[in-house]
Amino acid sequence: MLTYILRRLLLMIPTLLGMTALVFCVMAMSPGGIGGAALAAAGGNVRGAEAARIRAYYEKRYHINSPLIVQYGRWLNEISPIGWREDDDGNFTTFGFKSPSLGESMERHRPVGDLIAESLPITLLLNFITIPIIYAIGVWTGIRAARHRGGAFDSIFGFTQLAAWSMPTIWLGVMLITFLASNQYLHWFPAAGLNEMTASQMKFLPFFDPAHHWHRGWVLDVCWHIMLPVACLSFGASAFLTKLVRGSVLENLGADYARTARAKGVAENVVLYRHVFRNSLIALITVAAAILPSLLAGSVIIETIFSIPGMGQLGVEGARFQDREVILAVTLIGGIITLVSMLLRDIFYVLADPRVSYD
Amino acid sequence: MTEINVSTLTPPADPYPAPNAGNVVDAPVSFTRKVLRLTFERIGAQLGLFWIVLIMVLAVFAPLLANSHPLAMKSNGQWSSPLARALTPTDVTLLIASFAALVLWRLKRIRLATRVWTFIGIIIVAAVVSCVTVKPPLVQVYDTYRNGLVSGEISKAIFVPIHYSPDDHQRDVEDARLKPPTLAHPMGTTADSADLASNMIYATRIAISIGFVATSVAIVMGVIMGGLMGYLGGWVDLIGMRLVEICESIPTLVLLLAFVSMFQNHPDQALYIMMVVIGALSSFSYAEFVRAEFLSLRDRDFVHAAQAGGLPLWSILFKHMLPNGMSPVIVNASFGVAGAILIETTLSFLGIGLQNESSWGSLLEQALGAGGNVFWWLAVYPGLAIFLTVLAYNLIGEALRDALDPRLNKMA
Repeated sequence: MLTYILRRLLLMIPTLLGMTALVFCVMAMSPGGIGGAALAAAGGNVRGAEAARIRAYYEKRYHINSPLIVQYGRWLNEISPIGWREDDDGNFTTFGFKSPSLGESMERHRPVGDLIAESLPITLLLNFITIPIIYAIGVWTGIRAARHRGGAFDSIFGFTQLAAWSMPTIWLGVMLITFLASNQYLHWFPAAGLNEMTASQMKFLPFFDPAHHWHRGWVLDVCWHIMLPVACLSFGASAFLTKLVRGSVLENLGADYARTARAKGVAENVVLYRHVFRNSLIALITVAAAILPSLLAGSVIIETIFSIPGMGQLGVEGARFQDREVILAVTLIGGIITLVSMLLRDIFYVLADPRVSYD
Repeated sequence: MTEINVSTLTPPADPYPAPNAGNVVDAPVSFTRKVLRLTFERIGAQLGLFWIVLIMVLAVFAPLLANSHPLAMKSNGQWSSPLARALTPTDVTLLIASFAALVLWRLKRIRLATRVWTFIGIIIVAAVVSCVTVKPPLVQVYDTYRNGLVSGEISKAIFVPIHYSPDDHQRDVEDARLKPPTLAHPMGTTADSADLASNMIYATRIAISIGFVATSVAIVMGVIMGGLMGYLGGWVDLIGMRLVEICESIPTLVLLLAFVSMFQNHPDQALYIMMVVIGALSSFSYAEFVRAEFLSLRDRDFVHAAQAGGLPLWSILFKHMLPNGMSPVIVNASFGVAGAILIETTLSFLGIGLQNESSWGSLLEQALGAGGNVFWWLAVYPGLAIFLTVLAYNLIGEALRDALDPRLNKMA
């Protein structure tokens, strides 16, 4: 098992290399080139010598006039922990261990590593809250629909699940903000951000002050803010999962082992939860690897709609300004998350189904 | 040496024999026809088809449904039709194509393939001819008609149902921005004072074209890639699978962020670039399906027969193997159209997609205005259009999948 995991981890490297090379080529070949917007913005306002100086600065910092392969090589050198150190003029000095860096954003003039370190936890927080909710809803409704197959719950559900799955995330987000979070209609939820302006002065937990005023505290404040985004993210995916659970449970309920269990006189609930549900787990695990990447894509949308400073918003802004380092970092991290979730899926397979073995 | 007559090689037996195949009386029903009948037996697929046909009609007749130019007007005692003069080459081509489609649909005697090729030929000729001959005025001044009617310069004017073109910013009307629905503007107005209903009708063109063209690009690329990978195997397969793995290892929306500068720097061609990019990125999943199908078909007898007959590679791949491995592609095409529309609207919504034309996504984006103001008509209508279109394609896709799934067929 350990060798298998190690091999899979090593196999990720060529995939990630190919992916970043693809992204790099696309950005370099696109009209305007890497950082074109930044150059145009800087060169558009200033004349002659000034523009030339800014151009020279960009050239020195990002080497945008070097051949493509050289630029990509430099970027790889920068992100790898082993490589050449550079001096201030971009010349290579010594070879050895160094601290890897993701470069500096052209738009925000800050190290991309810092930007990622700020935004990635927010995106992961959103996703890790969403996943259990998706599974809870999916498993509960799926089992219920399968158990009373053809009943009212099942038929209503069959009709609505495709509709829920087809619901565009952008529409759901806009509708929730319009009708539940704007001051023109129901102002139940905040429309933007992750906490109130005063969050830094809040206590961590909710409490009553001596004058019997209730204070939300930091934790509840965050919960209140992410309620709509999480609802948006989990909506489509849970409909998808429900359908999967229903199909899988139905298939197993008709299986020979379930009939045998019933013939032995095992209670129906036990058949369902101890026998059938365990065997349906495999389908649930398969889909977990598909859900996390789709949540990542979803958080690109959700974070932009709800103004949450996560990685999705960072990527969209980077795309708007053709910020090479930011896009490369976001795609790299997105790729790593997807590949790791695929690996985790394959490991969980073994845990859920003893018949599967990779050795 | 005996010559093998290839034309007598029969395709593998029909997996779905007609219910009374033994009867000589019944004409054999083709596989396509049977699948289509099974698919559109479902009420959901019928509703989906209805909605798609509806938005297609809206797309074709958009200039006759929403236009600031009067259909006919009388000025200085003379009748004229400003609308006809303002038609663009696109409008003319679409009208000719829809008329041709209607006529060819009725000509049931001619073979289907002939009709399809004639239709494609007509579209190409119509597009070229209309691009050369149809020259709409470069600058459109819409308020001349409204001012003319008020001042009496135009004594009579007949308008189409919605009196506003999508790019009519109503310069002559004071403060027409973001107004809720009224009788004149049945769906309200947008952030740049244009009529929302008119913009929505014209945006159907974007949704339909991006769905069809992106999916066609994806299918053609995916079938060629997957076919070669599955049939040839070896290093072609190895390299191809690595490519597939690279593109599947990251969500399409995130990968598309790298392509955004292409749309931004060529706003006029953004739609076409987007079609190709979305098509190319989604072609890899088709390649995977086709590869798997071709791998299993590779050792079938009819393929060996075709090889022994000395047929060229393209003929073996696309005339003999492809028809037998097409069903997963067809099912996924329907979901793929929905996906392409979703991606386009999402990119436009995020402000990194189409800029010159208004798509449903960019209209929806205007619903959340500055300072926390919201505009319900901009939230409800464009979003509903996206939702219904995606739902329609998904409904058809589900029905198609069930119709093509032999396992379900046996149970029925």
